[in-house]
Amino acid sequence: MTNEYNPHILGFLCNWCCYTAADSAGVGRYQYPPNLRVIRIMCTGRLDPSFPLEGLVGGADGIFVGGCHPGECHYQDGNYHALVSASLVHEMLDRLGIVRERFLIDWASAAEGPNFVKIITAFTEQIRKLGPLGQAEKIDQRDLRRQLSEAAYAARGRKLRTGLINASREMMKSRDFSRPAIAALVKDKCGKVLQEISAGGSIGR
Amino acid sequence: MNAPASNIKSVVTSGAVMVIGGGVAGVQAALDLSELGYKVYLVEKSGAIGGVMARLDKTFPTNDCSLCILAPKLVEAGRDSNIKILTKSELFSLEGGPGDFVARIKKQPRYIDEEICNGCGQCTLYCLKEIGDDYNEELKVTHAAHIDYAQAVPTSYHIDPKSCLQLNHQTCGLCAVVCRKNAIRFDDTEEILDLSVGAVVLAPGFGRISNDVLRHYGWGKFTDVLTAFEHERLMCASGPTGGEIVRISDHQHPKKIAFLQCIGSRDETCGNNYCSSVCCMYAIKQASLAREHDPEAEITLFYMDVRTHGKGFDAARERAIAENNFRVIYARPPQVEDVFDGGLLLTWVEDSGKHHYEKFDLVVLSQGLEAPEDAEQIARAAGIYLNRYQFAATDAYAPLVTSRPGVYVIGAFQGPKDIPDSVTQAGGVAGLCSGLLAAGRNSETMDAVLPEERDVAGEEARIGVFVCHCGINIGGIVNVPAVADYARTLPGVAYATDNLYSCSQDAQGQIVSIIKEHNLNRLVVSACTPRTHEPLFQTTMREAGLNRALFEMANIRDQCSWVHMNEKEAATDKAKDLVRMAVAKARTLTPLVEQELPVTPSALVVGGGLAGMTAALAIADQGFACTLVEKGKILGGRTMLLTRDRYGNDPRQMVKELIGKVKKHQKIKLLCEAELTAISGYVGNFTSTIDGPQGSTVINHGVVVIATGGKPHVPKKFGYGESDRVLTQIELEKRLDGKKPFPSDCRQIVMIQCVGSRGDDLAYCSRICCGQAVKNALRIKEISPQTQITILYRDMRTYGFMEDDYRRARAQGIIFTRFTPEAPPEVMVGKGKTGKPVVKVFDPILGDEVERRADLLILSTGIESEDPSSLARLLKVPVTSDKFYLEAHVKLRPVDLAVDGVFVCGLAHAPKSIDESIAQAQAAAGRACQPLAHGKITPEPIVSKVEPEKCIGCGACESFCPYKAITLYKDGKLRKARTITASCKGCGVCAARCPTLAIDMGRFTYDGIMAQVRAFNPQGDE
Repeated sequence: MTNEYNPHILGFLCNWCCYTAADSAGVGRYQYPPNLRVIRIMCTGRLDPSFPLEGLVGGADGIFVGGCHPGECHYQDGNYHALVSASLVHEMLDRLGIVRERFLIDWASAAEGPNFVKIITAFTEQIRKLGPLGQAEKIDQRDLRRQLSEAAYAARGRKLRTGLINASREMMKSRDFSRPAIAALVKDKCGKVLQEISAGGSIGR
Repeated sequence: MNAPASNIKSVVTSGAVMVIGGGVAGVQAALDLSELGYKVYLVEKSGAIGGVMARLDKTFPTNDCSLCILAPKLVEAGRDSNIKILTKSELFSLEGGPGDFVARIKKQPRYIDEEICNGCGQCTLYCLKEIGDDYNEELKVTHAAHIDYAQAVPTSYHIDPKSCLQLNHQTCGLCAVVCRKNAIRFDDTEEILDLSVGAVVLAPGFGRISNDVLRHYGWGKFTDVLTAFEHERLMCASGPTGGEIVRISDHQHPKKIAFLQCIGSRDETCGNNYCSSVCCMYAIKQASLAREHDPEAEITLFYMDVRTHGKGFDAARERAIAENNFRVIYARPPQVEDVFDGGLLLTWVEDSGKHHYEKFDLVVLSQGLEAPEDAEQIARAAGIYLNRYQFAATDAYAPLVTSRPGVYVIGAFQGPKDIPDSVTQAGGVAGLCSGLLAAGRNSETMDAVLPEERDVAGEEARIGVFVCHCGINIGGIVNVPAVADYARTLPGVAYATDNLYSCSQDAQGQIVSIIKEHNLNRLVVSACTPRTHEPLFQTTMREAGLNRALFEMANIRDQCSWVHMNEKEAATDKAKDLVRMAVAKARTLTPLVEQELPVTPSALVVGGGLAGMTAALAIADQGFACTLVEKGKILGGRTMLLTRDRYGNDPRQMVKELIGKVKKHQKIKLLCEAELTAISGYVGNFTSTIDGPQGSTVINHGVVVIATGGKPHVPKKFGYGESDRVLTQIELEKRLDGKKPFPSDCRQIVMIQCVGSRGDDLAYCSRICCGQAVKNALRIKEISPQTQITILYRDMRTYGFMEDDYRRARAQGIIFTRFTPEAPPEVMVGKGKTGKPVVKVFDPILGDEVERRADLLILSTGIESEDPSSLARLLKVPVTSDKFYLEAHVKLRPVDLAVDGVFVCGLAHAPKSIDESIAQAQAAAGRACQPLAHGKITPEPIVSKVEPEKCIGCGACESFCPYKAITLYKDGKLRKARTITASCKGCGVCAARCPTLAIDMGRFTYDGIMAQVRAFNPQGDE
């Protein structure tokens, strides 16, 4: 047991579905690895794109965002907006050379305690395999965290956020909430800004 | 019988209700009545409210901590200014009639002044007289001066007059010397109180199976034969052994445990012929907990039938048996013997006739529920009739109404039942009383007065951290004192401590005084989940003069100790992390301004069957307008498929009467052939679109009740649909109502149970089919006594008083043959439309396969829900994997859904009988009328807020807000966004999308969440 790597995982769970699922897993005594630390938010729609990035900066090796199933958001479409934010995070991870599987957004309804356990168990295993941030990436962890910090700063910036607004607008107009479609929208609306930022040296290499 | 001759309807309708019995049913009824605007006298015989539920360690089917979920309710009842708790009190007589009773109460002295006693416990400490501790089943001692249990409400001690040395011999009086509050009153006397009330609710609970019955199984003779109540106390952290399950004889952990079922139930020798309904499930719970305590123990359960018919019970039982490796034996050992070399010997006979004997270390007797010992006295005082088993007599179509108008009954006194059914009845009775006394609403209540909120602006954070042991739920896994010690080192923390139960009433008092004493301005409770317990602690903060937004919870039970039970160190580390993150967030919290929103005082009920109509009527009777939407052309629902109930009455007649009342009621607007197609808003202010034959109607309403019902499952097996001689029970019911119910050659009828249910097409037990099969079989015997009937079953689940029918059926020669899911019956159907079925099944008594040629084969096919997916999506409420609506809490909020203002009843919730549907519909109506009766709601102000200086007026927030709760306005030449507080529900999409971070959310601020993120890293928390 000694020296075994224990992944540090930070989670953002929505009050109505995933947080409730996590509670019901507890009531049912379903066991899962003790690596997750949870921040409760009312809706995944609250997820600022900078939160997961800051989580990685702050020492997490993996970030989990858990919400309601598509179409079942307690606030109608907060989880779709969360997918927009998540796409930006994934995009940034890609650009920084960070394995994108370190960030997961998934769903469990209030009635799905066992499903939540399954998701967390699998995600913990995945992060365990990847090792501490930088290991699977073969990049110096401090470098990565510094770059992530810049990425988080950029995610708070008006330019990128305007890109996200446009992506969310298009998404709501098209009513296509599939992950690839949303990822493409975000790439399209934020790509140029990301390029500029990278060129300026503040994100990616 | 006590009603005066001049029983003219009184002009004055009282606004007060008396509830007799302070168990979970009584407490819930009191709380619900108070919420509906009535004054309540809660009359409890013992020294504290809480009843049996307060003695339980866990509750099935979830094994949730019993006191943890009960304590907040007890505290709430204790602090509610409109609930007067009268302990050591009993109803003596009841004069008058509905709306205008005078109840005479005899209140025994406590000998310690309840108003002055601060619960310090000095009296117990110095009391010389030891007595058996009733709360701990006499497995422990307490003293003549004592409190019933640590979390008792009221938090006040009392003296047992039977054993007190001073009261009996004038020889002690030490307690009076040591009591610093001078609260001891040896001259306290019995009081007689005459109280005016409009209605009386009887909730005295159940009585204990007599010791004679228990002695028959060796209890009292052999120390290691325990009742289930004793075993429950051993399981509990606050019990006599601190939560160790040990043999009383040698304090060793038992390695072989046996649970014997039906002790004092289903037993003609003791007169309790009925089934107690709850023991099968609680034995599974206790066995699971015994397993948790000792992974090595061999655990055996002896059942006659496994009656786990409640919602989710079968699934819980199957999981428990599989995970815990229980041995389940279908047999009833007749006695317990001791043998010369120690151990307890059980002998039993299998169905096949084979004899077995085996020794056990510990035997637990799953004793049933009896009518209360003082049932006759209660009945005499209240003027009601009892049934043959001394429970209150009620009617199947008015399950909560006793024989005396204005007197109601709920909980186990109405018939053996579990906690959710008791809580449901409590909600139902509140609805009924509120209907009866609508004219007296709010006439005797007063608003609670809270202290002024202290202005904490500009103060440095002074955080108080309370870490809860939750008995052994947290404390058994997480090193709680270490977490509290750790919390004390965190920046901003001015005070940290640990409590056994942070949610108990005495803990609330402590929290208030500590907040004041240490001048705290933020509160962090590290315990269970904010979803259930946040409101309790927030009220406590308010009592201490702090704004409720200055609160944060760390969930170290549901999301830590319970899910990392085998990793104590890791769980402790995680708890510390969660506390650190909560404290970090707490430092950023600021007070929020409360908002008060008006309520549209009307309801929408979806579904016009028995449940929907009952709910609509109960809402309208309370004086609120109600729209009833029915999909079909006519009202009535599936009850119209039934032709006779087990008492011989025609349910259709009752439904017709109900339809008449619904149609006549001025407050009910009926929309048939109509469907709810859109809904928006929130509790108090919903707007719905209903499409009907006359087009679309838009209505505003404050609450929603879902009563969309269920339907019979249609089987695709056993020749159903191939031959006319294969019918469902529903089809049989119809035939039995006709002139020629059977073919002329009908000599042999076979019934098969669980067709579709319990792991077949439907995963769950449909609850009512066993009772229906027995009812119909008896009806066939009535028409045609010579017809031979065989019922093939897995477990006959004729729970409660239905057991009478089962026994009668056996006595009339109906053959019952048990089959296992591994060897289900096989059916071959003869050729043609009238082909006769041949049923092959393994008969465990004969030990061989038998073949029965059936002239009719009847399938008990179970209940499916009407597909809830589209409505559930519309309302944003969760459904279970079995497609029933998921209640907000399986034990304590059985008719509420997760979304405020939305309620469920009837088959949409789960399969259930007519009387259960009616009680549940009345409960939904009672609960639904709470916000309507209030007339306003005060939702948590976790809304968005725009910083105008940062806002650039881009309008993104406005376009993404699902509730149109944020809007642009002109500020000179600039456009700025502004929140419409009343419409905002706090999702935070606007904040996440705002390009300039000009929008923030109450309690979920950017800085607050970022503080949590930073504190994720132990070094990040500066």
